This record gives sequence, C-alpha cells and structure tokens, in this order.
Amino acid sequence: MRGGDILLTIALVVETVSPVMHCWGRLRGMDSSDTSAERGRHQGRQLLISSLRSVKVRLALGALIALGWTLGRISVPLLVRLGVDRGIENGDRPWLWAGLVALAGVVSGICLGLRRYVAFSSGRRVEADLRLRLFAHIQRLHAAFHDQTAAGDLMSRSQTDLQQFQNVFTMVPITVGNFFIVCGSVIMMLLLHPVLALLALVGLPLVTIIGRMFSQRLFPVAMQIQTESAELASVVEESVTGIRVVKGFGAEEVQRTKLSKEADDVFDRSLAAAKIRATFVPAIELLPNLGLVLVLAYGGRLVLDGDLTIGGLISFNLYVIMLINPLRMLGMILAQVQRALAAGTRISAILETAPEIVSPSKPTPLRPRRTDEGGGARIRFEHVGFSYRDDLPVLRDIHFEIESGETVALVGPTGCGKSTIAQLLPRFYDVDGGSIEIDGVDIRNVDLAELRRSVSLVFEDTFLFSATVAENIAFAQPDASPGQVRRAATLAGAADFIDELPEGYRTVLGERGFSLSGGQRQRLAIARAIVADPRLLILDDATSAVDASTEHEIKDAMDEVMKGRTTVVIAHRPATIGLADRVVFLDDGRIAAQGTHEELLATNARYAEVLASADGPADEHTPAVV
Amino acid sequence: MGMWMQGGVDEDDKLDVHQTRKILNRTFRRLGPYRRRGFLAVFFLTTWTAATLAGPLLVRVAIDDGIRARDLDVLNRSTVFYVLAAIVAYGTYRGAIFTLARVGEEFLRDLRRETFDRLTAQSLGYFDRNKGGVLVSRMTSDIDSLSELVQFGLLMFLVALFQLVATTVLLAFLQPLLLLLCLVTMPILVVASRKFQRDSNVAYLKVRDGIGATLSSLQEGINGTRVVQAFAREEAQAKRFASTSEDLYDSHMASVRIAAWYLPIIEFSGTLTTAIAIGVGAGLVSGGSITVGTVVAFVLLLQGLFEPVQQLSQLFNLVQSAVASLSKIYEVIDAPTDVPEPERPQALPRHAPLSVDDVTFSYLPGARVLENVSLELAAGERLALVGPTGAGKSTLAKVIARFYEPDSGSISVGGVDLRSASSAELRERIVVIPQEGHLFSGTIAENLRLALPGATDDELAASCARLGVLERIQAFPDGFQTDVWDRGSRLSAGERQLISLARAALVDPDVLILDEATSSLDPGTEQLIEQALERLMEGRTVIVIAHRLSTAERADRVGVVDQARLLELGTHDELVAAGGAYSDLYAAWTR
Ligand SMILES: Nc1ncnc2c1ncn2[C@@H]1O[C@H](COP(=O)(O)OP(=O)(O)OP(=O)(O)O)[C@@H](O)[C@H]1O
Ligand SMILES: Nc1ncnc2c1ncn2[C@@H]1O[C@H](COP(=O)(O)OP(=O)(O)OP(=O)(O)O)[C@@H](O)[C@H]1O
Ligand SMILES: [Mg+2]
Repeated sequence: MRGGDILLTIALVVETVSPVMHCWGRLRGMDSSDTSAERGRHQGRQLLISSLRSVKVRLALGALIALGWTLGRISVPLLVRLGVDRGIENGDRPWLWAGLVALAGVVSGICLGLRRYVAFSSGRRVEADLRLRLFAHIQRLHAAFHDQTAAGDLMSRSQTDLQQFQNVFTMVPITVGNFFIVCGSVIMMLLLHPVLALLALVGLPLVTIIGRMFSQRLFPVAMQIQTESAELASVVEESVTGIRVVKGFGAEEVQRTKLSKEADDVFDRSLAAAKIRATFVPAIELLPNLGLVLVLAYGGRLVLDGDLTIGGLISFNLYVIMLINPLRMLGMILAQVQRALAAGTRISAILETAPEIVSPSKPTPLRPRRTDEGGGARIRFEHVGFSYRDDLPVLRDIHFEIESGETVALVGPTGCGKSTIAQLLPRFYDVDGGSIEIDGVDIRNVDLAELRRSVSLVFEDTFLFSATVAENIAFAQPDASPGQVRRAATLAGAADFIDELPEGYRTVLGERGFSLSGGQRQRLAIARAIVADPRLLILDDATSAVDASTEHEIKDAMDEVMKGRTTVVIAHRPATIGLADRVVFLDDGRIAAQGTHEELLATNARYAEVLASADGPADEHTPAVV
Repeated sequence: MGMWMQGGVDEDDKLDVHQTRKILNRTFRRLGPYRRRGFLAVFFLTTWTAATLAGPLLVRVAIDDGIRARDLDVLNRSTVFYVLAAIVAYGTYRGAIFTLARVGEEFLRDLRRETFDRLTAQSLGYFDRNKGGVLVSRMTSDIDSLSELVQFGLLMFLVALFQLVATTVLLAFLQPLLLLLCLVTMPILVVASRKFQRDSNVAYLKVRDGIGATLSSLQEGINGTRVVQAFAREEAQAKRFASTSEDLYDSHMASVRIAAWYLPIIEFSGTLTTAIAIGVGAGLVSGGSITVGTVVAFVLLLQGLFEPVQQLSQLFNLVQSAVASLSKIYEVIDAPTDVPEPERPQALPRHAPLSVDDVTFSYLPGARVLENVSLELAAGERLALVGPTGAGKSTLAKVIARFYEPDSGSISVGGVDLRSASSAELRERIVVIPQEGHLFSGTIAENLRLALPGATDDELAASCARLGVLERIQAFPDGFQTDVWDRGSRLSAGERQLISLARAALVDPDVLILDEATSSLDPGTEQLIEQALERLMEGRTVIVIAHRLSTAERADRVGVVDQARLLELGTHDELVAAGGAYSDLYAAWTR
C-alpha cells in the first residue's frame, strides 16, 4: 500500500513532535499518562534513534532511491498525458511516447527493487547487530540476574521483540523520500491559495493530537502484548526443557492449562490493542476529509463569487486528495511504531542492566604459577557473610584457609551453603561482608577473566553444549591438542565410554547433552575442568551419579588430577570425602567443625548424623530428625 | 562447528505448488469456525469501500453540478452528503478493523493451543530429536509471523480483488481487443510469479530454519551462561553466536533479494502495458477503428488494473512467508507419535505384578541400550537397580514407563500389555521421577500441583508432612508460596530434589520409579526420606535407581544392569553371597 509510505513520514513526524506536545500537555495539565510508561518509551526511542544512526548511510541511500522511484512514478501519468495528447491525438511519434513510458517504468521498477532491498537490509542489519549485542550482553550478566530471569523471556526479547523493532526500519527510506512529497504538496497548496490551504490543513494539527493520544493509549497495551508473548514463550520453553518431568507425572494437562491461559492473555491484550486501533485509525482517516469539506464549501463559494477559477479549485482538490491516501495508513503505522517502541524498551531494559560482577578498573595480577610450591592457589575466607537476598543470611562468618595444593572437602546437610561457597570463589556472587583472598589478593581486585581461569568450578548440574564431545572437553581451551583432550577424558574416567560412542570424540551431543547418561555427563564436565588446568579446582557434588565401583577408579585418577593444584570437593560419600586432606563441616551457613573425616566422625555427632549410613553396613540406627 | 549447525533446507523440504495449495486449503478450513464474523467483516468492508468511493463522486457532483452550474443548493447538499459518507466510513472501518482483528487473533490463539497440545502429546523420542529452541520457535516466531497476514492480509486481499474484478469488467466492456492486447504481458507475470514462488519457498523455509537455529543457540547460550562464565569464554561464545545470527541474516537477505526482483517486474509490466496501449492505441486511432476518448479512458483504467495487481503481488509474498511458517507448524501438529495411543484402550488391573518380557531397545538404530531384559516384579515389591554409569538403568526405567517403545519384547501389568493402555491411565499408574529433576518457575505450591492439579493447600501440607519435608518448606521465606525462580535456581540442589520427591508423595501410583531422585541429598536426609517413602508406598511397586548402595540394601531385590543387560537379580544377601558383579560393587562401596 503506497499511501502507507507517506503516512510513516507523518507518523515519525508525530513521534518527533510528541515530546513538544507532551510538554504542552503537561503545562496545560491535561496529560495523565503515567511517567514510568513515558520513561520506558523514552528508552525505546533512544534505542530506536541510536539504531537509526547505525545504518544512516544505508537509510540515506534508500531515501535517494525512493526519491528516484517517486520521480519515475510521477512521470508515468505525465508521459501518458503527453502520449495521449501528442502521440495519439496528433499522431506525433506515438511509439516514442510509449517507449518513454516504458522507460519510466523501468526506472521506477529498478528503484522499487533497490529501495526494498536497501530498506529491508537495513532492518535486518539492525536486527542482527542488536541480537548479537543482546547475546553478548546476556552472557556477561551476573548470576543473580539469570537466577530470576526465565530463559524463555530472554529468548522472546531477542527474537519476538527484535522482530517488532526492526519492522520500523524497513519503512524508513520510503518515509524519508515521501516526506518531501508531503511537504511539496503542502507548499503547492500554500502557494495556490493560502487561505484555502489553511482550511484544508485545519485537520492536520488535530491529526497530530489524535495521533499523540493514540500512541499514548497504545503504548502500554503494546508493552503488555510483548510481555504476554514473552510469558507464553517461557511456558513453552519450560515445558520443552522440563518435558521429562511433565511426562513423568502425566502433567501435560497442567502445562496445557498454563499455555492456554497465556494464549488467552495474548489474545485479550491483542484485542484491547485492536479496540484502540479501531477507535483511532478511522478517526485519523476521517480528519483530512474535514479539510476537503471545508475546501469544497468555502472554495465553492469563492468560485461562485468569482474569486477563484474552477481549474484552481480542482487542482487544489487534487493536492488535498494527495494527503488523504497517506493518512489512510497513518494509524497502522503509528501502531507499528508504538509496538517497536515497546519492543525497544524491553530490549534496552536488558542492554541497560549493568553486569554487577565486573573486573576492577586496576586489577592486581596474581602471582605466576610456581611449580616448586605445589602450584595451587592459597585461599583464605576472611569472616565472610553472604545472603542472596538482603534479609536471609546464607553464610555467616565463614573463616578458614586452604593451603596451596591442599584438598579440602566441604560437607554439610542439604541447603547449608556448600554450593554457595563454591560459587563465591569464581565470583558468581560477591560477598556481603568480609572477603575472600586468593594468594593474598582479594578476589574482587583480580581481573575477572584471570580469576576464572585460575578457578574452575564443576557444577552440580551438568550443562553440556550441543557440540562434539571433544569440543565440550576442550571448552576452556579450544586449541587443546587431541592428546590433552584424551588425557583429561581418561583422568575423568570418560575415555572408555567415549571410545564406544558412534563417532568417538567427534560425536555431536544432543541438546543439553541428553543423549548421554547422567554419570557420563558428569564425567565430561570433570574432563572439561581438567583441560582448563586451574590452580583451584572445585567439584560440587560432581560424582553423585558416578557408581561406586568406578568411584574408586576415579580416586586414583583424582590423585593425579589434584597434583599441582588446590582442590575443594563437595560430597556426601565417604569415598569421595576420603580424597580430602581435611574436612570443613558446614551447618546452617556456619563452619561447625574442621578436621579429618575420621576425627569428625568420632567427635562430632551431627557430622555422623548428616553422613548417616554412608559409612557402610555398620550403622543400622535411625538418625534423629534433621 | 556442530554446536552451531544449522538445519539446511534439503531438496525434499521444498514446497511445491501442490503442497502450498494443500496448506492454504487446510488453513481456510481452519478458518471455518470464524466464518460468521468473517462475513460481518466483509460486509463492513464493502460498505466502507462504497462510502469511501462516494467521497470523490460527491466532490465531482459538487464541482460539476454545484459550482460549474452555479447552484449553491447542490453544493450544500453534496457537502452534507460528504460529511455523512465520512461518518459511515468511520463506523464501518472501525467495525472492520475490530472484527478482522478478532477473527485473526482467535485463529492464532486456537492454533497456539492446538500446536502446544500436539507438542506435549509427543513422546520423549521426539524431544530427543528436536532441539528445544526450534520447538519454541514453532510456537512463537512461526505463529507470530502469521499475524500480519491474518490481520491485514484479508483486508488487502478483499480490497484489491474488488478493484481488480471491477476494472477488468469495465475494460472488457470498453474495448475487448485492447484488453487482449494487454494480455501480452501476462506471460511475464505468470513466469515471474512461478519462479518467485519456487525461489521464495526455499528462501522462507530457510528463514524459518534459521530462526529455529538462532533460538536454539540463544537458549543454549542463556542456559549455559554459568559454564561460559566459569571458563571466561564469553567472547568466544558471542563469536560463535555471531555466525548463527549472520546465517539468519543471510537467509533473510536471500528472501529480500527474491522479492526485490519480483516486485519490480510486476511494476514494470504494468507500465509496459500502458506503453503498449499507447502505441497500439495510436495505430488503431489513426486507422480509425476506435476513438481517441476510448484509448484515453482505457489507459486510465489500466492504471486502476495494475494497482491491485501490485498489491496482490505483495500479498503473494506475504502468503509465501506464511505458508513456510504454516508448513513448519503443521509439521508439529501432524508428527506421528512413536508411542501411539491404542484404538480401544484396556484398563490396567490395580496392584498387579509388573513384568518386563525380553525387552530390547535402542535409541539410535544399531546401538542397543537394552538387550533381552526380562524381569518380574510382584505387586508391592521394591527393586533397586544398580550398575555402572551408562549401563542402561535410566533407559530401562523410561521404557518401563513407556516413554519409549521397545524394539522388541513387551511390558505388562497384570497380564495387560502397556501398549493397550491409554497414556492418561498409564501416567496415573506409573510415575517416574527423572534423573534430571526440574522445577518450573513459580511457587513451590505450583510446582507440587504439577503432580496433582486440584490439590488444596492442606493436602499439600499433609503430604509434605508425611514425607517429612514440611518444616523445610515452611522455613522458606514465603513457605509454599515461595517463588523458586527460573528452573528452581532459588533453591539448593538437594532442596530441588526434596520438592520433586514431595510431588511424588502427592500422587497415588501403582508403580513409582525413582531415578537417582535422592542423589543430591545428604545421606542423613536421604535415609529419612527413603523411610518415609517406604511407608507411603506401602503395597506399591517401587523401582529405585541409585549409586549409593545403602539404598540397594534396603530394597527387596537388587538388579544389576551392565552393558545393556540385566546381569544379576536377587536379594542383597543372595547377590553378595553369589560373589558376582554386585558383590564386587558392594565391596567397593564399603571399602
Ligand atoms: N541463587 C539463589 N538465590 C537465592 N537463594 C539461594 C540461591 N541458591 C541457593 N539459595 C539458598 O541458599 C541456601 C544454601 O544453598 P546452597 O545451594 O549453597 O546449598 P548446598 O549446601 O549446596 O545444598 P545441597 O547439598 O542441597 O546442594 C539454601 O537455603 C537455598 O535455598
Ligand atoms: N536420548 C538418548 N539418545 C541416545 N542415546 C542415549 C540417550 N539417552 C541415553 N543414551 C545412551 O544410552 C546408554 C544408557 O544410558 P542410561 O541413561 O540408561 O544410563 P544409566 O545406566 O542410567 O547411567 P547413569 O548411572 O550414568 O545414569 C548410555 O550409553 C547413553 O549414552
Ligand atoms: Mg549444592
């Protein structure tokens, strides 16, 4: 719809003047729009503007081409008229005119194609750039952010919202090109008859006001649509990732009900938007008609009174009509702009969330690794206090040291804070009180990448990438040699089953590594950490799915792995705990006792209780309630 | 790199004309229920078109009969009528927008529901084969991309068709000969459209695949953030994502390029026709066979003919993109399930023995994961499955629960083959707590209700009390109403397992399968939970998979799975005495 092109011009003009209108409305006290929505929209607009800037050359080119297209298009009726007047009526070289018409067609056709290409390519360019920016940013965002943000929501922002956002760009070149045309016809009108022109344009300020109202009403709803779509995406994403649980309980119906609710919400909000559109879009279309009626009524009288020629009135009318068609689509485009702004707001909300865990501005370098003193890192917890949320302390006054090369087991009941300690070391979270030191340097003063290269954490839930086995193992060091990879796999007890896989190390794992068994995945994760060759290795319950027989095999390998580094193991099983030189027993966020496994078993009743029958057949008693 | 592999469009993934038509027909059939509102919309649109067309007519009357004829009355009257027409246009346009939007949104909502219903009805094998991100893209991006067509497409189509038919009829009356002449550009249109259809099909299917691949990478990137950060590989990951993202950009651009040559050809052929009309018309006029007026009128009408043709060609583009999305969505809806529903489901006898009869199973052809496994479990028996990593324990559990269909052999309860039981009943009778404990974002109560949707708060509390986890849950800041956040990240691993176990305590299955459901618990808590479960599951068949042999000791019988086979089966004491694999394992455990 060609009218739409011109309309976008006006839509963007409305958007530009709207801040002015906004101030004006404020002054007159008639603006009741809540400021948070306004602020959100402002953010969206900022993003839109900066993105527009990023493709400005392309857009300018597009506008030029659009101008060429318009010229081609306009010249067709002109040439047709000449062709009819001269070629047909006078028999003056009709084929010349026909040829010129065809030529104009070629020009406008080529311009049309180029314009479309340039316009769409700038939209897609912006989309791809922003998508990459979003991804890179999400990768750097702190763990606490990810804890609370659904993957589906982030996916929705990087896809659905981005799609809405880029839609606007495809319209820009046409818009800019047509902006001149609108200006041109307004100028022509003013030149022809200033008074009539003012009457004809009387509707335009009204259009601006209504357009402004329309945008203001639509923006929050557009925002809700995007939010609801994201919630729907989250339900789908969760159902797909959690499908084994859903199936295990036959809970398909529960998820369907959830989805149905989200689909209803999206429906409901979209309908609310349609209602607003249905009110304003026809109104915006109605307004230029007002000008037309005035021109007709007043201009007609002028002609009757002999103050204007009929020809003058007719050509004036033509100019007014030139404005009608454009306005027909104004509403639709305004709607698109609002959706883009809502999407932009949601995208910039992510981009403007600053990562909370960042490298210090002047990092203190860690001491280079020295093999003569074991090569491991020396760790010191200095009265560390920590809570995920301000009110609930998870760790209290944690104070202990780990010598270089030492292996320490963290033992404690479920939920006592073991994994929390493990995650504090590579700074997934920052301590609230006290400090953690590595080789005598506060970890907050160490360059983040350097810290994380020195500290490797094997998580309790294994995450593997859908890549080959070798790529997964060499994740920390993609240039590791096949020999290194194989050695790591052997140490982690993974080499045997890898050899049995259809394509060995080059087998591509399925998504989330599900085509391996639980224990196999854990072993790959351990191998991955071994390749990283850290100075501090933390194994968070990383052998829970490893069977008893191989655990002992792993034990031998582990001695090898632990050589030359400091190791922290979190475990519940005596065999694993036995790997450690020393046990730190945690209970309820505090250090309850320290010592060797045997010492603690003998002296600490609570320790024995937590480990219960883990010590083998000897104990048959029922422990007290935990 | 495998990680960023993108599903390309292979030859048979193309949509030919026939398939396209089938997809469109099917979509029209789906629109059937909204027919009534559709007609209403057409009514609104027709009236609106009439009212809008009346405007210029009235202006002409005002000028010709009012101003030219110096008749103020006519001028006034036509002004008033003009205002009336504008008001009618306002009302009908409003009605049309709303009605059409409603039809479109209802269609999309129902499509979302149906797709999701079908998706969740698929067996686990389907989810192994298809990446999560791709499935999400089917439910979101693919369906969203239809909304443009559904919302504006119908309006555009109707208006353009209206105009096209009217103009063609007029032209035919005016000068059939000239009209025929204009048809010389028809072959261009047809050939271009055919080629466009073929190329754009491929291009749009690639776009859909690209979006699926991008969403998969995104999902992986988001879910794996912690691992990426742990190894400080953020930049490398972003670089890898860039290549997927650029692939999507490229496929978008491929589709843009195709439209960018097609649309100009349509535009050009319109102008070419005009040019021909002028040239030939001039010849005819000089030959005296037609009048100048006819040619002029004809040329003007031609413009009216090609305007809608151009709009239809844009619509065609939109349809092509929609067909690609629809074909992907219908693929999900139509996918046959690996675990089909029986035609006439049979009721499973309650509290009956479970028997696994010579079951062989492989996920991928060739690699057997279970080989000739046979097993007989009395009602109420507790079986522990132990064995080395990757032996096939979880697989056996999943096959018993009929998540997967065995290649050969059968599983039956009280003599009734599970294949003849309805999946709804099966899920009620056989409950599995999978190794990958998974919580959904939402409150603890919501997570528990996954197992028993209608459960009251008291029922939840009572069942948690029976399992002995009530106090723990109440200790959370908001008790049962504590939001566990994305994937339960607010809880510790052991706490997540406790919630998963509490789910199991809520239901009343005949067979309960616990796949390492207590592996993250401290042994003290584990023991308490196991004892509570033992009481709760009194009289029910329970299969536990565990690496802690303390669990195996407490079971009635122990099965050792190794290398896809059930190696040993017997009581703990028997197996220890027998001196086989289990006694070695046990020796290793107690060492
Ligand atoms: N990301 C988080 N946000 C808020 N609270 C959390 C988060 N992770 C854990 N918690 C809470 O902090 C406490 C300690 O959790 P942590 O994961 O450190 O326990 P744990 O000792 O590792 O237990 P487990 O043996 O079950 O793994 C728990 O009560 C848990 O609910
Ligand atoms: N979805 C799948 N597709 C293909 N192969 C799979 C799939 N799931 C598991 N496997 C393979 O089947 C074999 C058995 O896996 P299973 O999960 O049953 O082992 P398990 O005995 O439960 O091991 P664990 O003790 O480590 O959990 C493994 O070799 C694994 O690689
Ligand atoms: Mg933990």
